[in-house]
Amino acid sequence: MACLLRFSAPWFAVGIASVVVAAPGREVDYQRHIRPIFAEHCVVCHGEDTRESGLRLDQRGALLRGGDSGVAALVPGDAEASYLVRVLRGEIDQLQMPPDGPPLSEEAIARIERWIDQGADWPGQMDDTADRLESDHWSLQDLAETTPPTETTGQSHPLDAYIAQKLSEQGLALSPPADPRVLVRRVALTLTGLPPTPEQIDQVVSDPAGFDVAYERWIDELLASPRYGERWAQHWLDVIRWAETVGFETNLERPRAWPYRDWVIQAFNDDLPYDEFIYAQLAGDTIEEDAALGFLVAGPANLPGQIGRDEESMRQARQDELDEVIRTVGQAFFGLTIGCARCHNHKFDPILARDYYSMQAIFAGLTYGERRFRGEENDAWAAKVPAATERAATLRSKLETLRQQHQLRPPLEDLQVETFAPVTARAVRMEIRATSDGSAASLYELEVWTAGQPGEPPRNVALAEAGGRSDASSFALQNQTRHHENLIDGDRDRRQAFPWIAAAGGPAWVQIDLAEPATIERIVWDRGNAVPADYGLRLLPVDSETWQTVAATDDRMLREDDRRAADAVQLRGLSKVEIAELVSVVAQTRDAAAELARLSAGPQVYAARFNETPAPTYLLRRGDPMQRDSVVPPEVPTVFGRLGLSVDHPEVDRRVQLAQFLANQGKALTARVMVNRIWQKHFGRGLVDTPSDFGKKGAAPTHPELLDYLAAEFIEGDWSIKQLHRKIVTSKTFRQASFPVEKALAVDAESRLLWRFPPRRLEAEAIRDSILQAAGKVNLKMGGPGFSFFNQRGGLSDYVDRETFDEAGWRRMIYAHKIRMQTVDVFGVFDCPDGGQMQPKRTRSITPVQALGLLNSPFMLRQAQFFAARVAEDRGSELLDQIDRAVRVAYGRSPTPDEQATLAALAQEHGMAHVCRTLLNTSEFLSIR
Amino acid sequence: MKHFDAMQNASPGRRSTRREWLAGFGGGLASLGVAAMLADQARAAAPAIDPANPYAPRQPHFAPRAEQVLVIFCSGALSQVDTFDYKPELVRRDGQPMPGQEKLVSFQGPNGNLVRPLWKFRPRGQCGKMTSDLLPEIGKLADDLCFVHSLTNESNTHGPAENMMNTGFTFDGFPSMGAWVNFALGTENQNLPSFVAIEDPRGMPQSGPNNWANGFLPAAFQGTPFSTTKPIRHLVRPESVPEAADRAARRAIATLESQSLRQYPGDTRLQARLSSYELAARMQLHVPEVMDLARETEQTRQLYGADSANPTKAQFANNCILARRLLERGVRFVQLFNGAYASGGALNWDGHSKLESQYEVHGEILDQPVAGLLRDLKQRGMLDSTLVVFATEFGRMPMFQAGTYGRDHNPFGFTCWLAGAGVRAGTSYGATDPFGFKAVENVATPHDFHATILHLMGLDHERLTYYHNGIERRLTNVHGHVIREMLA
Repeated sequence: MACLLRFSAPWFAVGIASVVVAAPGREVDYQRHIRPIFAEHCVVCHGEDTRESGLRLDQRGALLRGGDSGVAALVPGDAEASYLVRVLRGEIDQLQMPPDGPPLSEEAIARIERWIDQGADWPGQMDDTADRLESDHWSLQDLAETTPPTETTGQSHPLDAYIAQKLSEQGLALSPPADPRVLVRRVALTLTGLPPTPEQIDQVVSDPAGFDVAYERWIDELLASPRYGERWAQHWLDVIRWAETVGFETNLERPRAWPYRDWVIQAFNDDLPYDEFIYAQLAGDTIEEDAALGFLVAGPANLPGQIGRDEESMRQARQDELDEVIRTVGQAFFGLTIGCARCHNHKFDPILARDYYSMQAIFAGLTYGERRFRGEENDAWAAKVPAATERAATLRSKLETLRQQHQLRPPLEDLQVETFAPVTARAVRMEIRATSDGSAASLYELEVWTAGQPGEPPRNVALAEAGGRSDASSFALQNQTRHHENLIDGDRDRRQAFPWIAAAGGPAWVQIDLAEPATIERIVWDRGNAVPADYGLRLLPVDSETWQTVAATDDRMLREDDRRAADAVQLRGLSKVEIAELVSVVAQTRDAAAELARLSAGPQVYAARFNETPAPTYLLRRGDPMQRDSVVPPEVPTVFGRLGLSVDHPEVDRRVQLAQFLANQGKALTARVMVNRIWQKHFGRGLVDTPSDFGKKGAAPTHPELLDYLAAEFIEGDWSIKQLHRKIVTSKTFRQASFPVEKALAVDAESRLLWRFPPRRLEAEAIRDSILQAAGKVNLKMGGPGFSFFNQRGGLSDYVDRETFDEAGWRRMIYAHKIRMQTVDVFGVFDCPDGGQMQPKRTRSITPVQALGLLNSPFMLRQAQFFAARVAEDRGSELLDQIDRAVRVAYGRSPTPDEQATLAALAQEHGMAHVCRTLLNTSEFLSIR
Repeated sequence: MKHFDAMQNASPGRRSTRREWLAGFGGGLASLGVAAMLADQARAAAPAIDPANPYAPRQPHFAPRAEQVLVIFCSGALSQVDTFDYKPELVRRDGQPMPGQEKLVSFQGPNGNLVRPLWKFRPRGQCGKMTSDLLPEIGKLADDLCFVHSLTNESNTHGPAENMMNTGFTFDGFPSMGAWVNFALGTENQNLPSFVAIEDPRGMPQSGPNNWANGFLPAAFQGTPFSTTKPIRHLVRPESVPEAADRAARRAIATLESQSLRQYPGDTRLQARLSSYELAARMQLHVPEVMDLARETEQTRQLYGADSANPTKAQFANNCILARRLLERGVRFVQLFNGAYASGGALNWDGHSKLESQYEVHGEILDQPVAGLLRDLKQRGMLDSTLVVFATEFGRMPMFQAGTYGRDHNPFGFTCWLAGAGVRAGTSYGATDPFGFKAVENVATPHDFHATILHLMGLDHERLTYYHNGIERRLTNVHGHVIREMLA
């Protein structure tokens, strides 16, 4: 990796190469003029030993880099841009330097400015390197070239060689092989999350070809099974805290998010090479993999309506949205907590605040939403577009013919201008009798324009600031202002301003009293939530008490979105029959247009969308969106080298470059992070125990050479994850027994060195799936919208748990509609992540609430009954046969005599359903052993 | 061998392994443990979880002032200017623009003119604290309360701000204060959950289960949500299962697990599972007892307002009685919610448009039951060891929103209070400006508030940490100072 030079200095002693620009004016000399100022006022706190706020003023490089804030204190040739100067001038809020006593003299500050403008010459320190950050941290180094110690350990499998070597250093050794039945069950649960059937186990252990051959065939079968992707996709969804609601206080549903889940399952099943897996998720728009872009927007995000209308809130919300993306990418692919550098340089890892914002610049074009979901369905829809276009056009021309035939004016616009002969008036009134969809009358703005005169342009005299006063029949008291004053605030910005909305549907009016009489010739209204369909505009002439109608709608052609019934419509000179015909053709046109719009837009998927011309990305001081510093280019973190892109580099290529970087220059880290995730899911713990943090605060690998060996193999094997599985599960390390060994426990209680296969409890999903499998009820339907655990699919009112499920709810749990924050009944308490923060590894709690759910929930009782019925069906009425069968289904082996005795007593007294309930509550069933 | 050192650091429980092994062998089910706790437990800084029992009482960092905590949380953002933050200038300037903020745009948009408190303020208690007629019964207890008027929040949106008040972060997914305390201290009563979240009878608070989530701490430390209107799920043996059959099945589970244990001697996870079934059985016995409010006297019911004809008030009062009963039985951390989810202010304190009429409804529900709860805790001597925290996610603006009869979100200055163990009662800390708009004196953050609460529990907020994704996480992020002025 890009660790070209190695200094003994700490990693943060780096610099940015400067181009020295000669500035006019008297030459300032560092030694004579500048150093004494720094020495007297600054270096006490910002010297070699003190470094307050991570800043020292005795090194040019340190100044170039700036302090913890990540803002360059010194920009050679540009005093204005140098943070140092801005601080000294007192321009930074709440920051005074020097902190005590008077500020520097103006002369001193001017001298520093001149020195900087002249290039900040600093004798002996002008060699500071450009953009080069050093680190000797293990995960940032190239992969070590390593040869498996097969000879010294006598282990033929390379993985076993590394493991055995480490064990022997501690006086330990691998355990004997596991019982074949245990191993067949273990590998099935590991690779597919479902226990094998008794028949499958029998077949493998009694294969005439011998167990070793049969075992390898079994692995092939498991990896070829679609069940494999369903298990391993879940792990990836945990890593990126994917869910199907937005989180926070609304937690509304993302109804089209599920295609991403299906895409991940498919990717694992297809053994999509990991570099392509990354590429699709960062730049799937370039290869028609739209669903894959669900990755970037997997996290929680507040809806626009939940964001404050003030500028700071809007900027903050945008920063938070992008922060989720950076955290996802940083942790999932880099295995680094890049997100920690949002407010200051990373405290532990060589990641600058500037790097954080450079990563942000890569995704500056991203927004959360839905995008066109290309593929078969999309093509089918597209094929229907020409016919739909023609149908809509035919209907529209029919409408136009009718309009001309009935001599109607064109339909109303959303922003309607009504012009008429000038009237000198003192008030304006709009009487709305009906809206196009029957909802409450609503307008954003009502403008009343004077007739212009030479030298006096038309004025909107309705405005509050022009003295207009509004009134209305009513206004809604919703959570936000719907007051009629909104009509005359001069603001139609949908993000900032609000409409007037009447309190209820039905007739309504608004009136504007003018400050003084004016000659009016034009009224403009801007629709609100509804469009007024039937109204009269009236003026109150200056010399009269009688309102004068200046515009009406009874000679207007109907809008296509006018949903009024025929008998509610009146048009001048049209008979009831003619109106009925018109309304009918309008409805047909509306439907045809809607269908055309739907087909033209194509099927949609919840995924990242991109703006081709993203706004510039700024380095923010202390992460404060109101404190913008310099514009930063899209880049990978400095420590990895440079992509060398400009600040206005084309949007899509920023993401493409990142994907290519991860698969090429950055591949050592990329591969290490992923092989560790895969390893972790086999053994319960990773070689690195902090799977999304390979930084200094993360754990060091227990077997660094093995990690590098696997990473190298992974890359050489064209990033095939299935090959990696095969390598792992064929090892003796995976195949050994899981029993405790006293001597080994005393040295390595948690089996981090793998002197045994570490037994562990299954995850929530595997538990539920296994129960359904045991009961013979698992529904293996793949893909599509998920089933629900609750009475609703999003939102944050009270969720009611579903008590019973039918076949649709007996699908594998990865197909459950995933609601953020909400704990799923019975199984959620088995450490199911809540979709809030990323969960690269799960905790494995043991709690009484788990016991209550497994014992008493209707789901469990019902499945226990199904299980019992199924056993009876399989084996007939003999109780011992049934017990034998039940234990073989649950544990993959026959019962011991003790177990048989215990269960037979229970069955005789209380029935087989209680035997099955018992088995489903035991550790052996709930564990990988 | 650097990697091996790191590994040892990651396994704080390993030194006791041999002891456990032997105990497990000989001691049968007496020594029950949770290895997984150890596996995911943080390094040196984290509390040492006894593998024999994750809920065992643990020593705080220093002598605590409070043994237990009750958090009363008003969801929706309770208006400070209409309750506890008295501003005579706001009364005087009623109907006028706020000087310097004439064009203020806040969460929902433009604001109108200043509006005086909608309820009259009067001096209460010996200390003469001015509080409003909206919550008169709570006001009467002013001598027992310690107000903080200068709290601020980082977000002006309910969800993130509620997250902040209860987890120390605006984001989803962080452990709640109760989970941290549970993790740090365990519990005295092994028959009840150590951390209980009591939801409002009207529904879930704005940030929902985030408020009692374990986040990345082990699930054992999450709050158990139940209330007098919403029992613990699956606590009761279903009617379809005869008692004898249930007992027999449980015995069979224990027998099979013990047989497993013979193959896996000393396995702490197996033992912990057995223990979890025992604790479940004890909960089945003891939770109905604690929920049985019929054991309360009529006098007590009247004190709380549980006899009210207003059904919501009566239900909330019952929740308050439940809170006391839980605390009496040693539950470490009780969260009591007043106010439900987003509902245009109808079900919680989010008074944007009809503040007066909505608050009249909410005030009646909140006031007497909470005051009754405080009085009851006091008369039973429980305030000596119980810290009571009264909180909300932010305050409200001193003006009405343009074109409504309510106040918009205000994260710049709001009021919470503490009472009970170790609290400097009858005092107030910090202040907002003359309009109640922004905190200007002794400005405090939720981190400071949390640090103070942890301090009263004998915990140093900088030492209570847990490693997650690259950081030793704290309830207080990297901030927070104990507010000494609020301590007795």
